Amino acid sequence: MRSTFEEVLVDGEVDSLEGSDLSLLETLDHVLNRGLVIAGEITIAVADIDLVFVGLNVLVSSVETAHEVLREREQQATLPASNASEVSAGSELPEIE
Amino acid sequence: MKLYVYYLSGGTSVREAESVSGVAGCAVRLMSVGQLTVAVSEFAGDAVAITRENVLAHERVVRSVLRHTTPLPFRFGTLATEAQLQSYLQSQQELLQSKLQFVSGCVEMSVKIIWPGVDTIEEVPAFRTNHSLDSTKDGAGAAFLKAKRREVLVEQIATAKAAEIASWLKARLAPSIRKDQVTIRTRDKLVLAAAHLVDQSFLDNYRRELRKARDERPDLHFLTSGPWPPYSFVNIDLEFKTQFGVS
Repeated sequence: MRSTFEEVLVDGEVDSLEGSDLSLLETLDHVLNRGLVIAGEITIAVADIDLVFVGLNVLVSSVETAHEVLREREQQATLPASNASEVSAGSELPEIE
Repeated sequence: MKLYVYYLSGGTSVREAESVSGVAGCAVRLMSVGQLTVAVSEFAGDAVAITRENVLAHERVVRSVLRHTTPLPFRFGTLATEAQLQSYLQSQQELLQSKLQFVSGCVEMSVKIIWPGVDTIEEVPAFRTNHSLDSTKDGAGAAFLKAKRREVLVEQIATAKAAEIASWLKARLAPSIRKDQVTIRTRDKLVLAAAHLVDQSFLDNYRRELRKARDERPDLHFLTSGPWPPYSFVNIDLEFKTQFGVS
């Protein structure tokens, strides 16, 4: 797994994203894009709009990748199909389904 | 030295955040002004790097109190001097109290919906009846106009689809939510991103209804997450801009 968000977001390699990366992207989407702002005093190291935009695109791609993996597993295990992404979240992150 | 600000809450009785390591590994402390309390840590520097560790530390501190109270989370990267923070809390006391009251006992749940059908939009009847696919005999001008027409049609169909999904989702979940924030995106597969403010006592019901809704729509992909602190329901930044002459 990548060690920082910058690496995950800028290199565009989404195929190898794991469930925990998906959880982190959801966290990123929340903490970076929303919340109370003391206008004029907020300082973020990277331009937030671009980053969140890229993050969402990675999120979509990673969800689709997760679906493909799930589909393959389901076919192999001959289990019924599902339209839900079942991605395990880390213990310090909210539950993601 | 600036302060990194995590969240704001209504009292000093919940002190869990003080035992959690903050951004850049710094200790978290609580600071009170009137009835309001903010969780802060010392921060050396002018910018906070967006790293996995820092983002998780921010979320960990805010989340540490979620079981006992509903905080108003600050956006990641919020830095202020102690004087600025004191002034903010004093000047916005009433507004912040009413926000705290509004989100009290609630958590935020997130639903993102992907419509894979956007890839095959040209097979949608509404597209076929309005758009001739054959442009091989057209001149450059006609081909350009057809391409523009195609863009408009795709956006119209995607907008209608996103609106239909938003309305359907709202109808399914309305009894369990206090407020929602819905963003519709018509140029991506991710057509809808919704944040739902849910009273914790309604959480089981909300999850049950969401599961039923997902089963109803195999044509859509869902990414659901939560519970989160109410990040999407606390934006009151505009009032502060005049305080320091920032526009």
